[in-house]
Amino acid sequence: MTGKKQKIVQAVVIALITIIAGTGLIVMSNANPMDAYTNFFRGIFGNLNGFCEVFVKATPLIFTGLGCAVAFRTGFFNIGAEGQFYMGALTSAMVALGLPGVPGILRIILALVIGFLAGGVWALIAAIFKAKFGISEIIVTIMLNYIAINLIGLAVRTFLMDPAGSVPQSAKIDESALLAQILPPTRLHVGFIIALVAAAGVWYLLEKTTLGYEIKVVGFNKRAAACNGISVMKNIVISAFLSGGLAGLAGVVEVLAIQKKLLEGISSNCGYTAVLIALMAGNHPVGVVVASIAMAAMQVGANTMQRQLGVPSAIVDILVGLVVLLILAKGLMSRKKVKKAA
Amino acid sequence: MLEQILTMGFFTAFFSAMVRMAVPLIYAGLGEMFAEKAGILNIGMEGVMLSGAFCSFAGAMFSGSLMIGLLCGILGGIAVGMIHAVLSIKLAQNQSVSGIAINMFVLGVTSFFSRILKEGKSYQQLTTFSTIKIPGLRSIPLIGDALFNQDIFTYFLYVLIIVMTVFYAKTAKGLAFQAVGEHPRAADAAGIPVHKYQYIAMLVNGILGGIGGAYLVLVQLGVFTENMISGRGYIALAAVILGRYTPVGTFGAALIFGGANALQIRLQAVGVPLPAQALAMLPYIITLIALLGSIGRSNEPESLSKPYIRGSR
Repeated sequence: MTGKKQKIVQAVVIALITIIAGTGLIVMSNANPMDAYTNFFRGIFGNLNGFCEVFVKATPLIFTGLGCAVAFRTGFFNIGAEGQFYMGALTSAMVALGLPGVPGILRIILALVIGFLAGGVWALIAAIFKAKFGISEIIVTIMLNYIAINLIGLAVRTFLMDPAGSVPQSAKIDESALLAQILPPTRLHVGFIIALVAAAGVWYLLEKTTLGYEIKVVGFNKRAAACNGISVMKNIVISAFLSGGLAGLAGVVEVLAIQKKLLEGISSNCGYTAVLIALMAGNHPVGVVVASIAMAAMQVGANTMQRQLGVPSAIVDILVGLVVLLILAKGLMSRKKVKKAA
Repeated sequence: MLEQILTMGFFTAFFSAMVRMAVPLIYAGLGEMFAEKAGILNIGMEGVMLSGAFCSFAGAMFSGSLMIGLLCGILGGIAVGMIHAVLSIKLAQNQSVSGIAINMFVLGVTSFFSRILKEGKSYQQLTTFSTIKIPGLRSIPLIGDALFNQDIFTYFLYVLIIVMTVFYAKTAKGLAFQAVGEHPRAADAAGIPVHKYQYIAMLVNGILGGIGGAYLVLVQLGVFTENMISGRGYIALAAVILGRYTPVGTFGAALIFGGANALQIRLQAVGVPLPAQALAMLPYIITLIALLGSIGRSNEPESLSKPYIRGSR
């Protein structure tokens, strides 16, 4: 069996197992699978609002997914997209709320730039730990996630807390500094376009520039890279910074377009989901966009199933986790086949 | 304000809370340490604990017995640990990806089935394990209550920490487990079955992580709520590093994490308006500094999270 054929067979098997598992879960929650799937697709394609919601939910996933993909290319295992997202969110809220005299559009640009830098610096800390001292970035990024989450908690209870309220959240950002909606009344916003531009930029960087080439070489073989005069440390640091910056942008966009203020828990784990998205996408920017939209569509569809039929929307987490586990486990399939052939 | 804090009563209550907060972290931390010393990094500890918590709740609810609940919790932990074991040992996959996928998968599974379990039923609360007072010792001022007026899980920990310390320091098997994590090729050459030892390490990881999760349900809360581990699995990872990969160190590190949490609760109880997050952040910063402090003499197992493939170069 040729490699390509085998890959297709594996993909089909994974898809089949996932569909069977999904149907089983729907039956277990006492719903009719046909009804459930109808509702699932009606939720996504049934009306403009739901359809646009897919792209709204995909936006932060694209940014963080791109971030993970860039980092994974050099072998820098950035699990810190969650924390970098929050650093972007925190700084963008500070910019949008802290400079009331400045025109809105300037504040938006400033928030994007500073949010990118903040996320980048957050990842840079881990990169320096790794490149200079050889400390595992996995652990450092996890620590930094929790520091960032607590920083947000601290901010919305102290210096950024809405003076008019008693809830731990910031004041509302004024209309002029918000990212414009594209198709009101849907929530689709300019952030999605920025995400697509970012994806194109990352693709160009990785495929068409010397830096992108060096990043890939470092990821494939650090020793070979060093022997050919490519600085491993430099490339890890650059890709980590870009990676964190992209995740930071997710936070900026979420604050300036969706939440319209800073509050806790707004990432809803998208920093961790991003790791899985990058994996499913094979660290390719186009794949990241496709996987993010697919993931968002599943969430939108599952929300409709939950509303209409009471099927818990946690079904999405189960199926996405399952798909990734199956991708990791596909060695079990091929190994058997090798044995049979022999 | 200060007089209110500097009292015996305050510190007694604080130490008690500290130990209670730390116990699940210690179980998970010891389990994680055992796996990491054998070279397997389990970021899915969060999922292991969550599975332990859910299975223990379901088991105790259906059987009406806390012991059966505990057993189910352990089995739930083992099941998740074994998924990670197969992926990272047999299939030599990226251990971080596997761990994160497991966390998402288990979060989904437990949330899904806890909804179904609770559907149409009234609010279910288990009667929890009761405390066992150890006469004499529990009257020690300040720490007596914290250490010797606890439940069976806490007492078992004391034994476990001593056993693990002796295991690593004094036994050939303990040395072999560390060799697997430090230099699997050398261990293999010396006749140690590397993969078998790693599977055993993941079994221990699942058991202890499962107990850590079950503790939250069976001792502290008496009920399962969605995502109830809320990051404790990740904190356990930090506790292992801060504890420099030793059982006693992990115990101490977990106490620091538990203490930060407890201190903030106690301070709020006496009315000190300090945001919880300021204290909650500290242990992570300490861990980062500890990592920097260990430069050059790192305690991290040499082959941590590097799959061992026999016969490859």
